[in-house]
Amino acid sequence: MAKNRVILIGSPNSGKSMLFNRLTGLQQKVANFPGITVDVGTGAMRGLPDTELVDFPGTYSLQAISAEEEVAVDYFERALKDDQVQHVLCVIDATRLEKSLYFTLQVIRDCERHGKCVTVLANMIDIVEKNDLEFDVQGLSDALHTPVLPLSARSGKGVEAVTRRLADSLLEPCTPPRAHLVDTPDELLRGAAHQLAHRYGPKGDVLIASQARLDNFFLSSVTGGIAFFVIMYLLFQSIFTWAAPAMDAVEFLLGAMADAVVPLVPNQMARDFISDALFGGIGAFLVFVPQIFVLTFIIGLLEDSGYMARAALICHKPLRLFGLTGKSFIPMLSGVACAIPAIYAARAIDSPRKRLLTYMAIPLMPCSARLPVYTLLIAAFIPSGTALGGLVGWQGLAMFGIYFFGMFCGLLVTGLVSRTSKDQYTDLPFVLELPPYRIPGLEPLLRNAWNRAKHFVTKAGKIIFTVTLVVWVLGYFPNYGADLGQSWLGHLGRVVEPLFAPLGLDWRYGVAIFTSFLAREVFVGTLGTIFGIEAADENMAPLVEHIQASGMTIGSGLALLVFFAIALQCVSTLAILSKESASKSLVVKMFFGYFLFAYAAAVAIYQLAHWLT
Amino acid sequence: MTLSLWSLGAGDRCEILGYDDALADKYRVRLMEFGFHPGESVACVQSLAFGAPKIYRVSNTIFSLDDEVATHVLVRLIDG
Repeated sequence: MAKNRVILIGSPNSGKSMLFNRLTGLQQKVANFPGITVDVGTGAMRGLPDTELVDFPGTYSLQAISAEEEVAVDYFERALKDDQVQHVLCVIDATRLEKSLYFTLQVIRDCERHGKCVTVLANMIDIVEKNDLEFDVQGLSDALHTPVLPLSARSGKGVEAVTRRLADSLLEPCTPPRAHLVDTPDELLRGAAHQLAHRYGPKGDVLIASQARLDNFFLSSVTGGIAFFVIMYLLFQSIFTWAAPAMDAVEFLLGAMADAVVPLVPNQMARDFISDALFGGIGAFLVFVPQIFVLTFIIGLLEDSGYMARAALICHKPLRLFGLTGKSFIPMLSGVACAIPAIYAARAIDSPRKRLLTYMAIPLMPCSARLPVYTLLIAAFIPSGTALGGLVGWQGLAMFGIYFFGMFCGLLVTGLVSRTSKDQYTDLPFVLELPPYRIPGLEPLLRNAWNRAKHFVTKAGKIIFTVTLVVWVLGYFPNYGADLGQSWLGHLGRVVEPLFAPLGLDWRYGVAIFTSFLAREVFVGTLGTIFGIEAADENMAPLVEHIQASGMTIGSGLALLVFFAIALQCVSTLAILSKESASKSLVVKMFFGYFLFAYAAAVAIYQLAHWLT
Repeated sequence: MTLSLWSLGAGDRCEILGYDDALADKYRVRLMEFGFHPGESVACVQSLAFGAPKIYRVSNTIFSLDDEVATHVLVRLIDG
C-alpha cells in the first residue's frame, strides 16, 4: 500500500484526466460510488515509489447543489483530513482562468484549513503560447501564495516539474499556503477570482473567435443539422455494425473453447452443464463487451472533442417536452442497438432526475435483441406483399411500426412520469459549458473504454451468470435435458398458461416467454427446441411454418409483438441498471411496471384483433 | 430598462442586474459559479432556431442556457 497520497482535483474540461494519465501511466483503478456517476481513480505516480495519485471527479465548485456533488465534495473533505494525503494538485485551464480560479481559491482555502500543501497546475499552456497570449504565472503564484506550474498535459511539457515538486515536498515537507483565505466566504472568493483572472490571465479573443467559427458551422440550422445526422449515424453504426465482428469473434471463441473442452468431460450431465450453462452463461454477457467498449470510446471521443455539449444543445428542446434533456439523446439512440452500453452512456447526464427518466426510456428503445423476435413474428403473421407499386412492403412497414411503437412508448413513459412523479431526485438547470473544440487524446479514451468494459464483466456478470444457471437447472431437470416440455420449466409453463390465455397463447409460448427473460432472442431458440427444430435462430423458415400451423392467430402474433416491444426481458439490462442506479427498488418497479404495461397492451391488442376479425 | 437574458438576440451585450425570485437558490448558485453574477457583462453569441437554448459568453467562457433558466436572469442592455 502506498505511503503517500496526492490528490488531483480540477474543474470539468480542465484536462485533468489527460494529466492524470501523464502522471501515472495507464495503471488506474476506478472506484465507483454506488448509485451515482462519480468515479475516483487512483494510480501509482511515475517516478515516485510509494506515492498514489487520487483523481477526483471534475467539479465546478466545493459548494454542492446535488447529492452527487455532495458525495464528491465530502470525499474531498475527508481526504484532506487523511494523514496520508501529503499534497493537493489543483488543475486549472490557463486559457479560461476566471472559471477555474473560483474553484481553485476554494481548494486553497480548504487546504489552508487542514494544513495541506497545494500546487496549482496551469494546464494548456501550449495553447496560450501558440496564440501569443500573455499569462503572468509568477504574478498569479505570488497573489495566491501558492506555486503555479505551467504545463501541457497534451504535449507533456512541464509535467516533469510536477513530479520534481512532489518529490521535493516528500523529502522535505512543503509549507502549506499562507493562511490568507481561511475565513474568506465564497462570495468574496468569487470577486477575487474575477480580479485575479483579469490581472494575470490571458487576454484577447483569439480562442473564442476560433470556437465561434466552428459553432457557427456545428450549430447552424442547415450545416449543424447535417453534421448532427452524420455523427449520430456513425455512432449508431459503430455499435450496431462495427462492433459486430468483435461480438462474432467472442461468440466464435467461446464456441471453439466449448468444442475443445466439452468432449473431454466424461459425464453427460457435466458436459451439458459446461456446454449450456457455463459457456452459454458466460457467452450471454461477454458478447456485449465489444459494444460497451466501442460505444464508451465513441462517446468519450465526442465528449473530449467538445461536440457532445453541442449535440446535447441541439436535442434539448424536443426532449424537454418529455421530461428529458438533450444529453438523453445519445443514450436513447444507443439503446436502439443495446440497452447495456446505453445505460452506461447515461452517466453523461448530470441531472439525477433526468438520468433516472433516461434509464426508464432506454429499455423501451427497440434494441437489436428484439430483432430476431420481430423478424420471426412478422414473417409468421404479416403478408409479404407490397403496396404503392412495390414501394411499401407490408412486412417492412410492420417492422418500422413496431420500432416506432417502442420509441413512442419510451417518450410516453418519461413524459407521464416527469409530469406526475414527486421531485425525489435532484434536477439541475440546463446551464451547459460549451468547451473549446479539441483533438482528444487516445490513451484516456482507451483507458475509459477498458474500465467500463471491465466494470460490466465484474459487476453485472455475476448476476447474469447466476440467473442463467437457475434457468438452466429448471430447463434441465428432472429428465436431464431430454424434453424441455417435461422439464420443471415446462411444468411452470403449464402452471402459468392461464396467464397467457388472454393473449391466445398456450404453454409453449409461455415457456418461451419465460426463457426470453434471460435475453429476448432466446425466445426464438426455445420455440425451436419445443417444436423440435435444430438451429431455429439461424434458419427461421421451418419455425415460421410450425407457428403458422400451431393455430396461433394474427391477434396473438400482434399481441406478442407489442409484448416484446414493452416488456423488460433482459437480465443483463436489469443487472447493469441495478448497479448503475444503486436502486434495487427502481429495477423491481421497472421490471414489474413494464411487464404489466406490456401485458395490458398485448391483451388489448389481442382482444381488439379478435373483435375485428 | 430591465430585460431577461433570454430576450437577447445574437450580438446583444448586457449587464447582469440580478435574478428574479422564481429562480431556485441552487440554480442561482450554479449561475454565479459560472460567472453570471450581478455587474458582469454577458454577450449573446448565438440564438438558435426552434427555441433551442441560446449561447452566451461570460468572460472568456461560452455557456448555453435554456429559457427555463435564462428568463429568470435580469439584465440591462449595453449594446445590441
